[in-house]
Amino acid sequence: MSENHQRDGSMNTNYQARAKRMDRFARWGITLGGLAVIFCVVFILVLIVNVALPLFFSAQVERQPSVAVESQLSGNLLAVGMDEYLETSYALSENGELPFYKISDGALLDQEQLHAPSGPDRLRGVEGDGRLRHVLLWEDGSVSVERVRFRPFFDAEQGNERSILHQRERLATFAPPASGVPERSWARISADGRSTRVDLFADGHVELLQRLEEENFLGETSFSEEEHEIDLSSILGRVASLVLSHDGQQLFIGSSLGELMRWDLADIEEPILLESRKAFVDQRAITALTMIFGDVSLAVGDATGLVTTWMPVRNEHGTRVLRRIHDLSRHDAPILALYPTQRDKNVISASRAAVHIDNMTSERHLLTLPAFQENAPLALTTRGNGLVTVSSQGKMLSWSLMIPHPEVSLKTLFGKVWYEGYDAPGYVWQSSAATDDYEAKLSLVPLIYGSLKGTFYAMFFAVPLAIFGAIYTSQFARPRLRGVIKPTVEIMAAVPTVIIGFLAALWLAPLIERSLGSLFLSLIFLPTTLVMALLVWQAARRNESLQRIERGFEFVAVAPILIGAVALAAWCGPLIEEVFFAGNLKQWLFNEMGVRYDPRNCIIIAFAMGFAVIPIIFTIAEDALSNVPQSLKAASLALGASRWQTVWRVMLPSASPGIFAGTMIGFGRAVGETMIVLMATGNTPIMDLSIFNGMRPLSANIAVEIPEAPVDGSLYRVLFLSAVLLFVMTFIVNTVAELIRQRLRAKYGRF
Amino acid sequence: MKRAFWRIGEPMVWLSGTALSVTLLIALVLLVVIVSNGLGVFWPSNLVEVRLNDGSVLLGEMVRSEARPEGAGERVQYKIGNRQLNGLDFRWVNLDDIALTRLPADAVALERSEYGNFYGFFKEVDGGEIAPELQGTERSLLERLLAKMEDERAALIKQSEHLNDVSYAMEELRLKRVRYDYEVVAADDPQRLAVEKKEGALKERFHQLLEEQNRLSQVLQSATVTMTTIDGREKTLIAADVLRTWQPNIMTVGEKTLFYLGKLWELFSAEPRESNTEGGLFPAIFGTVMLIFVMSLFSFPFGVIAAVYLREYAKEGTVVRLVRIAVNNLAGIPSIVYGIFGLGFFVYGVGGAIDRIFYPELLPNPTFGTGGILWASLTLALLTVPVVIVATEEALSAIPREMREGSYALGATKFQTLIKVLLPMASPGIMTGLILAMARAAGEVAPLMITGVVKLAPVLPIDGNFPFVHLDRKFMHLGFHIFDIGFQSPNIEAAKPMVFVTTLLLVLIVLVMSGTAIALRNRMKKRYTFGVF
Repeated sequence: MSENHQRDGSMNTNYQARAKRMDRFARWGITLGGLAVIFCVVFILVLIVNVALPLFFSAQVERQPSVAVESQLSGNLLAVGMDEYLETSYALSENGELPFYKISDGALLDQEQLHAPSGPDRLRGVEGDGRLRHVLLWEDGSVSVERVRFRPFFDAEQGNERSILHQRERLATFAPPASGVPERSWARISADGRSTRVDLFADGHVELLQRLEEENFLGETSFSEEEHEIDLSSILGRVASLVLSHDGQQLFIGSSLGELMRWDLADIEEPILLESRKAFVDQRAITALTMIFGDVSLAVGDATGLVTTWMPVRNEHGTRVLRRIHDLSRHDAPILALYPTQRDKNVISASRAAVHIDNMTSERHLLTLPAFQENAPLALTTRGNGLVTVSSQGKMLSWSLMIPHPEVSLKTLFGKVWYEGYDAPGYVWQSSAATDDYEAKLSLVPLIYGSLKGTFYAMFFAVPLAIFGAIYTSQFARPRLRGVIKPTVEIMAAVPTVIIGFLAALWLAPLIERSLGSLFLSLIFLPTTLVMALLVWQAARRNESLQRIERGFEFVAVAPILIGAVALAAWCGPLIEEVFFAGNLKQWLFNEMGVRYDPRNCIIIAFAMGFAVIPIIFTIAEDALSNVPQSLKAASLALGASRWQTVWRVMLPSASPGIFAGTMIGFGRAVGETMIVLMATGNTPIMDLSIFNGMRPLSANIAVEIPEAPVDGSLYRVLFLSAVLLFVMTFIVNTVAELIRQRLRAKYGRF
Repeated sequence: MKRAFWRIGEPMVWLSGTALSVTLLIALVLLVVIVSNGLGVFWPSNLVEVRLNDGSVLLGEMVRSEARPEGAGERVQYKIGNRQLNGLDFRWVNLDDIALTRLPADAVALERSEYGNFYGFFKEVDGGEIAPELQGTERSLLERLLAKMEDERAALIKQSEHLNDVSYAMEELRLKRVRYDYEVVAADDPQRLAVEKKEGALKERFHQLLEEQNRLSQVLQSATVTMTTIDGREKTLIAADVLRTWQPNIMTVGEKTLFYLGKLWELFSAEPRESNTEGGLFPAIFGTVMLIFVMSLFSFPFGVIAAVYLREYAKEGTVVRLVRIAVNNLAGIPSIVYGIFGLGFFVYGVGGAIDRIFYPELLPNPTFGTGGILWASLTLALLTVPVVIVATEEALSAIPREMREGSYALGATKFQTLIKVLLPMASPGIMTGLILAMARAAGEVAPLMITGVVKLAPVLPIDGNFPFVHLDRKFMHLGFHIFDIGFQSPNIEAAKPMVFVTTLLLVLIVLVMSGTAIALRNRMKKRYTFGVF
């Protein structure tokens, strides 16, 4: 017996110890799990911010080992270049020597000797546009166009080790001009068989030579060659800078007195002067010109150190004239040279003070590199990730550039930007296009506008319905009906938004498009029939048996009236359209009011998103109202107030914070709603308050664009940024709502 | 009295009643539209022969009629089928142009595996190599041939299942070989040689099976059915393509009901056809259910633990207040933000890391580093956790304090009280939360679109190949199905019935689930609420 007892006792202690251990364990586990949930919220925000943040990081630059060149070559260096893996660089000396170096240790890999097409192998000068293409002007005035190409090679036998192969090829040659040896020469060879050469002579005159190689339908090739002297009489000053577009069809000339000329060379028989104009009032010299990638915008560098970009914009007469669009960073010395990058709209400007890299679209100053030696050659890699130039000591210097998102800045995201091809600055979202040289238009403003517009119309529809519905349900409806209505509305909240969106787009939109007249008519009919019904009711309510309706059945009694009014409107709609709007209200709206009717528009959104939001506002508002202590109501009624007066003056003010919270939460839901807007808005990013057209909200934009956005690209990060915006918007709204609800809870006890 | 009616605000009561009425009416309209459009889709409607005033004639099912967009009068839409012959399945006819309509008793409708339905009249069958004895113009022969084809098709499907198994095994071996290549295993390594040998054998088997399958389907192609259309053109169809045949004009209501049930069964059990606009929804239903299940595995325990922490362990104060705000915020974050988080964190972050560590040989082809059912489930779990938390907390707080005190008084620890007393009592509430979370997950589409849902998944996430559950696979989902066939389908008009059916199904699932949850909650409220005031 005692033994038994003892065993029991020991078991008990064991058991208790185990139970206590379990308890401690559980406390830890549960606390950890609980905190993990809070952590989640913070983590989500941190992660999406973390993805979006690199958009605003500044560019990085890293100096690479310099290569001593001068000592190995005879004569000055006229051109340089580098491959995009930043492993191999080359230089071109004035005697036509072309050595290739390994950057990491400065070793000479290979050296080539270039020969003149005619005359001695000595160069007068080289023009480049920052690409690995060089226009060589030889001693006797002949010109050759040389291109250097790099190609990675993976050696299978050496374990796939990468090496860079290089190759130099001559694209074209031009014979010396008849009128002597030019000072400088520019040339362009384009893929469609057009070669263009422009020469600037010591006396200041400019000659143009164009060759066109065409293949006719029989497969025969024909050559034509034309020479012209460019007429400079319409500008003041001498030619200070000159640039050809990459296709060789446009010529820009800048003068020493701040004037600009634009020539159209498309017709080789006859170059056309499109425009010559004063660019700067103070007659500062235009010292450098270049075409920005895409051949639309012109970058202009002047003697005061300013870099501006210009593009042809339609003026009030309908003709296109050059206009100053962007002002980029300012140098402390005159601009010596400008180079475009070949992947994006960056411009590199060099002065004796510094080398700057700027983005045209965002006007962001990306990088500053140390001072630039006058007349030193400079080149970019094809990917724009490296820059190479020559120091005053004759060393070849190179930098690796990391410019992740040059086109994005707060200004392009939220401000007006004047994009290429537009007649005025604007807020535009157009993330991609068919061509590479496309200027990405990533303004979030139209999307935010779209979100708010859709939300506004949805709330406009939902808030009155939900709040009045909640008032009725909580205060006037029979308790037993209330027990049915509330769950019904809660189930409404569970209807998947994809279904609401689908019905809105494929059932409601065509229906409303067909019967727009009826819709407007019911806006008139509904109130009038209601007022008429009330007038009738005023008389009828004296009837004893009918008075039961006023004990919480009003909403049932009113339903047939509503249905009748809508049916009447549906019946009259086509007749009214026929009589007053020539049979087609949409056409009439367009002709008379200039309003375009999109089939997927804000009316649809108001209905559909309103339907999604009503249950949320309704439930919270109803909770708030029915949790107001009944003693207040009883007191008010006892003092002789009518039931509406009690609700309006007593119940509603007490519950208003809760109703407000419900509205806020509904707002948050509408702002973030995706499927409905994706299906029923048409998704065009326009900024127009009209109720007859659609929009593109932030949420739908994410859903539409993220599958095509390359990971870690600008678009990808901008989409994450828009997710951050959505998060923050809903966070603020929800936090405010939650704080209000917590205060209410404290005030009236649990609900 | 008259004055008083207006002065005391009685009309305002009516106005608020109107607001409620409008809300409920809209919900009703929504339900009616879905049900009326969805329920009737599979009901075999009559084939109407329509003679027009210009002498032409058409045969088809009447779809709907409406007022003409221009001019007076009505127009009627007929589904005329025969897509190869007519180019279009649907035709609008102005009511004024119709001279005569009748229901020909011998009109036959054929459901085909491709090109939609065929409407016409039976002419003859040719059993070809499969059933040479079935040849002639008797109507009964058609039925017999189709029954025969059914068996043949089943054999073919079995064959292709074999083929799939073999090709799966081959793919596994190929991946093994890729791994050997990556790890630079010597060419004469015995393991490697074994794999290569096995691969060779499988390849041979694969070609054998493929040949056999080709032969089978060739034979299958030889049986034909010849039909005539209403305007006298003859069309010979391959019998294997005919899935079903019926003569709606002479079917009794009982027969039609059977037909309806047959179609319904197909809806639940068959794969979709014709870019999802015909056939069944089985993969989508399967995907949805599995998604919800995997999601619940994550959101349920975490949600309950978090709620227990908040209600039972944490001390009321600023921290708890903050947590509540955080939870409510979590519930309010737009689902697309969850989606983009899932893409950035789960898919590219975690999935990418898994790929780099476990599947480096397959890169740059992603295994887990692309959308899949696991990532979609996790994203949805995050999205639905607040629902579970809120419901559980509510349930716990409704339990009277006396219950806890009683348990402690008997010497139970906090954890014992929780496990033995509180959680069982709160279980209806927790269930409510879970069901609500599931309903939300069933209806949510936006986050799935960027974390792994696809319009057509070739294989299910669960199959008979080791390891049986493939959480890295992409999947189909009812909600996305609606979006896809409603908006990305080339033939919207033909797709509409299917969208409505899918919609009806999804609405039913979600409404039944949330209805149950709400009923549970209301019953529970009654149980624990002791006097309101």
